Amino acid sequence: MTRYQHLRNLIVLGVAVLVLAFVPHPLSVYLRSFLLFTMMYVVLALSWNIISGFTGYTSFGHVAFYGIGAYACAILVADYGWHWLPTLGVGAVLAAAVAVVIGYPVLRLKGPYFAIAMLGAAEGTRVVATVWDSLTHGGLGISLPSAETSMETYYAMLVLMVVTIVVAYAVGHSRLGIRLNAIREDEVAAEALGINATLYKLTAFTLSAMFPAVAGGIQAYKVLYIDPPAVFFVQITIAMALMSMLGGKGTVIGPIVGAVVLYSAQELTWVNFPTAHLIAYGLFIVLVARFMPRGLMGFAIDRGWARKGMVH
Amino acid sequence: MDGCTFAVPHGRISGFIGPNGSGKTTTFNLLTGIALPDAGEVLYRGENIAGLRPYQIFRKGITRTFQITRIFREMTVLENMLSVTGLGVPDRVARERADELIAFVNLTHLRAEYGGRLSFGQQKLLEFARALMTDPDLILLDEPAAGVNRTLLQHLLDHIHRLQEQGKTIVIVEHDMNVIMNHCERIFVMDYGVKIAEGPPAEIQRDERVIEAYFGRRRAASART
Repeated sequence: MTRYQHLRNLIVLGVAVLVLAFVPHPLSVYLRSFLLFTMMYVVLALSWNIISGFTGYTSFGHVAFYGIGAYACAILVADYGWHWLPTLGVGAVLAAAVAVVIGYPVLRLKGPYFAIAMLGAAEGTRVVATVWDSLTHGGLGISLPSAETSMETYYAMLVLMVVTIVVAYAVGHSRLGIRLNAIREDEVAAEALGINATLYKLTAFTLSAMFPAVAGGIQAYKVLYIDPPAVFFVQITIAMALMSMLGGKGTVIGPIVGAVVLYSAQELTWVNFPTAHLIAYGLFIVLVARFMPRGLMGFAIDRGWARKGMVH
Repeated sequence: MDGCTFAVPHGRISGFIGPNGSGKTTTFNLLTGIALPDAGEVLYRGENIAGLRPYQIFRKGITRTFQITRIFREMTVLENMLSVTGLGVPDRVARERADELIAFVNLTHLRAEYGGRLSFGQQKLLEFARALMTDPDLILLDEPAAGVNRTLLQHLLDHIHRLQEQGKTIVIVEHDMNVIMNHCERIFVMDYGVKIAEGPPAEIQRDERVIEAYFGRRRAASART
């Protein structure tokens, strides 16, 4: 990409940020919440895409990191009186540490074995949160002190989304991203060409763990109550994966587009087809998967509306 | 590979030949760390590199191409090339080198095309160019002539000779005997994982064991039919 194209993309992001910064004030609580969730799913989809899209290791357990972040925030605020903002950093560091510890063994697995191992890791994290009740309050959950959190959490999620977009963009349009893609394409050939696949995979996995943790912390502070089933909900991982895939796995714009389109579709079907929204939502996913198997960005690239490759 | 011992001469073009399944590609896999030997050593500049991971061997200056091309199909030609250079190499330097090699194999017009959409011959050329990105010292080429037209093959062979003149060591696995006999200075012949002959082309062409390995099986197969 030329410097002009990077600048253009930066301007687009800047305009979007300005709009999102000013637009929530006149909106209803519901619409503000809708925007917050949309931004959250952009963060989650982009994060999932770093390990699963760029690197090709499809994770079915990324909700574990979301939950770790949520619990870090809740425990530190409710039990230790911390201000909520620094707890987000703690959650990110904790998620990164967990990612390194579990990533080293599980990233030796390939394909469906890695996916299932991550599913197991997520379930294991949920079980730990449930049984370690001296720390996590177990099945009772944790209630955070009551506070007016709506605008604080909105702007925190906006900042998180911008940071995630910038990081994903930087990775995707760099030689680091190219090397991650090489691992995805053919790990044996990548190693034979000088790429330390273990180090790169672990780096991508750790990076992809940190942003969901911060998102989980923000959500915990927003809803003021968490328990294991709520924050280790497998639907969150499914949403991350679907949004990234439907937008265009392995691209930078794809997960953003996928998150916005799919979450909007989910809300629209819920509002308009309250008794059958899951069917309508599922039908939408099937149609996109059938007619745009490489996602919306893949569809655009095949028709020449977007350029091939990440680096030009 | 069974008790195989050989030494590739430095700065020369050597060839590995043998019937299918004789162990030629296995040899390359052992040299580049993709396969691990059960016993024995792989000495490169006096250092035993057996047991090192492929990326570590690559960083010592050994590169290879594959019998069945292993280019990155969902990445563009340019991205295939850039995937090889370390992150410490400045972007401008990496791109200049990539463009230079892409031009050498006449793929400039396909620079932005996905590797998977190239023809088989173009993929071979891309893989060859990619192997040269980091200016390696030892270049292992596994059937570089397969699927490439005669004009491009000559172009490739010209560049192989230029690399050798620069002091590079090149080892070629090939079934095309014109390439092996006319371009290799030393030839190693494999059969059933064992080195059965070694020497200059003229000697190899007269070696009874080599003739038996190639043609003996054909006579036996004909007798059965």
